[in-house]
Amino acid sequence: MIYFLYDKDTVYSYNTFLLDIQNTKCYFPYLKTNNLYLYFLNLVKAIIANKPIVLIDFDINDFEIDGLNDNTINVSSPITPIQVSSFEDILKSIHESTSEISIFTSGTTGQPKKVIHTFQTLTRSVRISEKYNNQRWGFAYNPTHMAGLQVFFQAFLNMNTLFNIFNQSRNLIYKTIEKYSITHISATPTFYRLLLPVEKSYYSVKRITFGGEKSDRKLHDMMLSIFPNAKINNIYASTEAGSLFFAQNENFLIPSAISNKIKVKNNELLIHKSLLGKSDSFTFSGDYYHSGDLIEWINEEEGLFRFKSRKNELINIGGYKVNPTEVESVILEMPEILQVVVFGKQNSILGNILCAEVIIKELNNLTELSIRNFLKEKLQDFKIPRRIIFVNTLSITRTGKLKRI
Amino acid sequence: MEKKVLEIINYIRKSKDLPALAEIHPTDKLREQIQFSSFDLAELTVRIEDEFGIDIFEDGLVASIGEIYEKLK
Repeated sequence: MIYFLYDKDTVYSYNTFLLDIQNTKCYFPYLKTNNLYLYFLNLVKAIIANKPIVLIDFDINDFEIDGLNDNTINVSSPITPIQVSSFEDILKSIHESTSEISIFTSGTTGQPKKVIHTFQTLTRSVRISEKYNNQRWGFAYNPTHMAGLQVFFQAFLNMNTLFNIFNQSRNLIYKTIEKYSITHISATPTFYRLLLPVEKSYYSVKRITFGGEKSDRKLHDMMLSIFPNAKINNIYASTEAGSLFFAQNENFLIPSAISNKIKVKNNELLIHKSLLGKSDSFTFSGDYYHSGDLIEWINEEEGLFRFKSRKNELINIGGYKVNPTEVESVILEMPEILQVVVFGKQNSILGNILCAEVIIKELNNLTELSIRNFLKEKLQDFKIPRRIIFVNTLSITRTGKLKRI
Repeated sequence: MEKKVLEIINYIRKSKDLPALAEIHPTDKLREQIQFSSFDLAELTVRIEDEFGIDIFEDGLVASIGEIYEKLK
């Protein structure tokens, strides 16, 4: 019996998965659930049935994304029964699928933007062979985001076992790693920072991957004390393009297979359109998409580079990208608020923490908590400023532009 | 100092609709007993830094209430 997923106290085998696929008569184009098994099952159903699917977070509010409402969310749609008799059949159908898989990215203006991928663009970096048999993955990402999808497909397509350790307590994560001899973990630097301090070593882990935000040598070294047998790598993946580059340390290498599709202009990384999903929100210069990531060459001939910063204003909060303009416009919906600026402040846990400065009308009883309660109804948790400061004048830069710290 | 830490913790718990704690103990774990997520812990570090001028998580060694007290001594 090969197991597919351990989630809390429930275990699902690949046999169960196969039976659930065989018995299916419908799927959900917009499924909002925090049940990881149902979420993955629904995703695979859509892919095999060549149906479009939109991946949404279970805590999303309807008005955060255009087109989401009670008529779409968790409403099932019929599909013709899927004829598969083995897991190999499932894999074969998946590889032939032309299904459109939509995920969302924090656009630089307004609401999150939809990016349409196919199985092929999502799994460009997935490797399948016997070499990858018997891997046991700690699943530590949000499953609707690019990094989570990468881990899912890498594990699923090799019939590996996944263990849900996303948003679990440190104790429980260590217990799971130890009890089930986890071999692979891919997560954000924030996830690894929360495993500190180093108290004990876990020898089963063979590889740990960092992604989603900038990591540093110090954190790598501490992780090697916890996981002495692990090799460390970094991955650069984006909602727009899927995973593109890998690195053993902070220097990323452009793989030769895509070297003619990557350009650097004014230090900004440009990605050829053939590597991207489809979206109305992309702006191209010629055939190239501006990633907003600023880099520095280590060795241009070899394609070796390092990330420096971001050109646009998205703020990376523990691997979640927040568009400050979107948050500001929601805060301004409160009639008592006159002006607002949302910014990131450096933080030793999340990399950045989201903060806001507000100017309010005189004589009202707004508090930090009342603003946050208002935002809770409108925005996902990671988009809500954790520190709201009442000021008389906003911090303004010398150019007169609102300052983002 | 300990009273102020409890105040800050209860403030963050309130924002999550969790009941206020009457008291906290040095052995309480921030994730388990206090029920803080990574975002709550980040907020805790910011609020403690605003109050005491110390980044308690700078070297990543804080998992319990007692360890916060140590940093603030």
